[in-house]
Amino acid sequence: MVRKLVHNELFIIGFAAFFIFAVLPVIYTISITFFNFQSVWANLQELNISTFLLLLKSILLSAFVAFLATTIGSVLAFVLYKTTIRYSSFFKILLLLPLFISPYILAVAWKEGFFLMFGSTLVLASYWGVIIVFISIYTPLSMLIVGNALVNISSEIEDSALLMTSKRHVVLKIVIPLIKPALITSFILIFIFSISEFSVPSYFAVKVFTTEIFTQFSAFYNYSLAILQSVLLVLLCLFLLFAERKYIANAPFLAIGNKGVVFKLYTIEKQKVLLYSILVLWLFVSIFLPLTILVAQSFSGGAMYLVQAINLIKPTILNSFFLAFVSSIIVVFIGFTAAYYNSEHHLIKLAKYFDLLLLFIFAIPSIIFGISLIFFYNQAALSMIYTSYAILIIAFVGKFSFIASKLISNSLKQIPVSLDEAAQIQSIGFYKRLQMLILPLLLPAFFASFVISFIFIVGELGLSIMIYPPGAEIMSVKVYTIMANAPHGLSSAMSLIVFLITLGIIPFFYLLVRPMLNKYHLSK
Amino acid sequence: MIQLKEISFSYNDKPLIRGLNLQFEVGKLTCLLGSSGCGKSTILRLIAGLEVPSTGAVYIDNKLVAKDRKNITMVSKRSIGFIFQELALWPHMTAYQNVAFGLQEQKKTDVKEKVLEILAFFGLSEYIDNYPNEMSGGQKQLLAIARSLVLQPKVLLMDEPLSNLDVKLKHKILGYIKKLKNEFDLTIVYVTHDHKEAFAIADQVVLMNEGRVIEQGTTEEIVGSANEFVKEFIEY
Repeated sequence: MVRKLVHNELFIIGFAAFFIFAVLPVIYTISITFFNFQSVWANLQELNISTFLLLLKSILLSAFVAFLATTIGSVLAFVLYKTTIRYSSFFKILLLLPLFISPYILAVAWKEGFFLMFGSTLVLASYWGVIIVFISIYTPLSMLIVGNALVNISSEIEDSALLMTSKRHVVLKIVIPLIKPALITSFILIFIFSISEFSVPSYFAVKVFTTEIFTQFSAFYNYSLAILQSVLLVLLCLFLLFAERKYIANAPFLAIGNKGVVFKLYTIEKQKVLLYSILVLWLFVSIFLPLTILVAQSFSGGAMYLVQAINLIKPTILNSFFLAFVSSIIVVFIGFTAAYYNSEHHLIKLAKYFDLLLLFIFAIPSIIFGISLIFFYNQAALSMIYTSYAILIIAFVGKFSFIASKLISNSLKQIPVSLDEAAQIQSIGFYKRLQMLILPLLLPAFFASFVISFIFIVGELGLSIMIYPPGAEIMSVKVYTIMANAPHGLSSAMSLIVFLITLGIIPFFYLLVRPMLNKYHLSK
Repeated sequence: MIQLKEISFSYNDKPLIRGLNLQFEVGKLTCLLGSSGCGKSTILRLIAGLEVPSTGAVYIDNKLVAKDRKNITMVSKRSIGFIFQELALWPHMTAYQNVAFGLQEQKKTDVKEKVLEILAFFGLSEYIDNYPNEMSGGQKQLLAIARSLVLQPKVLLMDEPLSNLDVKLKHKILGYIKKLKNEFDLTIVYVTHDHKEAFAIADQVVLMNEGRVIEQGTTEEIVGSANEFVKEFIEY
């Protein structure tokens, strides 16, 4: 008798659901567009030189952002992860904050800041505004990716070189070549995120390729041209992903804890003042300044703006939290099935493609995923999904399952296979092993995936603004639409509230889940 | 000669070595023997300059190289070779590049000559373009030794370098190390927790426990020691 080591029911449910609900709409939309040859030909003629010039501008803007954010992020990572600088954990947490704040909140803060300081926001309503906000958002991502690569270089690798040559040479010839995949990944991901981002250029009224697609789609109702333009962007993103697909698909930087690699820390004595200055300066620019501006503007009319903002946001909070809660639970389930079965891909061949599908949906720009969902679900038979919150849940699950799957997968790799094998030898069944061994050990990863998804979903705008069903009230969309015409104080107050809600989510959920983490001795 | 005088060392406020006095004779192979966490690897790192003593002084050839939290001679200027437990071969460099890395200040033609010569000495000539992950465990071991010796160090520090090898290969490389000591006129400090390995190659054995020297002497002296800890340690 052959004992079945892994049951595949969970995989079938997860894979089929993800494929049908999230991937199929994209395939359907692209194929429908290209099968309509007449429309394709007509639209191809509309793809004139100005379209390509706009695409080129967007590419240059994103490349500039990616280069600067990766450079600054690498410097911060080196200081925080590779030196003996004090309070590094405190700095890391604070510097990572912009990653969890919706881009448009920072855009508001910068705009208000310029208005306060210079009485005009003209400078910001340009490519420079977009660049400043993008760099402050994506630098922490680069810091995370590069920092993770730095702590995974065994100290022996650097020590053996230090015995022969100077620190500078070791960094140039050993450390940088070894973290090259991380540097390239950081560049590519930031490039893709910035070329796909829609809310910041739109808020600053700067014309980029994504805003052009949005205009074609929502103002001119020229769906096929919008999709054709989208395809250009998808091809660009996929081409870049393909270059570093192995590293990005494994995403080792999305991990909780490390694998116990002993890494080298450089002592700082002479450079101490310089390094602290760099950290404090960046902290001031990326967090303290925008936050102070939001607070100052929010109270510019006494408590009036805050009260108004609370009244406006209040009806949306419950909806947003409900959506984020349900979506995050599904995200964790999809992330787990993809991660677990991928680790057993020798048993289920299809499992490794699950991972690629998650990466595909994660990497395509939100605007394109949104258009695909509208196109697919806006049909009589599927109107139940199109007109309800279900379409938003599908969108969020599609967009954020990749992050969850990587967090869970990297935690799974840290659980010795022998733990599961020891149970198999004792003839303990698959579901029992899952329940008693794998799931409890993955609890911190589940928790992290859930909270991160929740935060991202609550602040998500690019997808929500396109597909939210009529009459639905969600926080990010409401804030974004109101603040376009609201007084400075009110838009700041709304942004401040969203920011504080985002900050409050982490300790709230931690307190909820702590008893369970304590039960399995996993809280540290 | 290497001398450690009144060395203490703490890591994260936890004392690992306390008031240690040791000396390693020129041209001798000394084994630092002891169980995990007794501080033997830390001693190698202190000699190499990869750690600085909390208190005390390190001398190499009667020259003060480190004292009281300060490295006086830089790590790269101590003329020391170090074989790490995990070998620490640079994965992004070929065998040739791994060996040539430390010779960057020399003329290209000299570098090539020296690298090819030492790789030939260790029987690695046909692997010069191979990356470490394309080599066997034994070949990697020899490459790590070649990389250290190409700089003609006076002292070679070895931190449990054979722990990942099978018994047969271990014996072969132990033989190599003995031969190297004489041929290159090296002072070797060899760390191991395996007393059989230590007794097989050492001129001098230093047995340690909890950051202190318990006993030192030749293999015969250690085997004949009346100390209870020594007896218990070598019994297994």
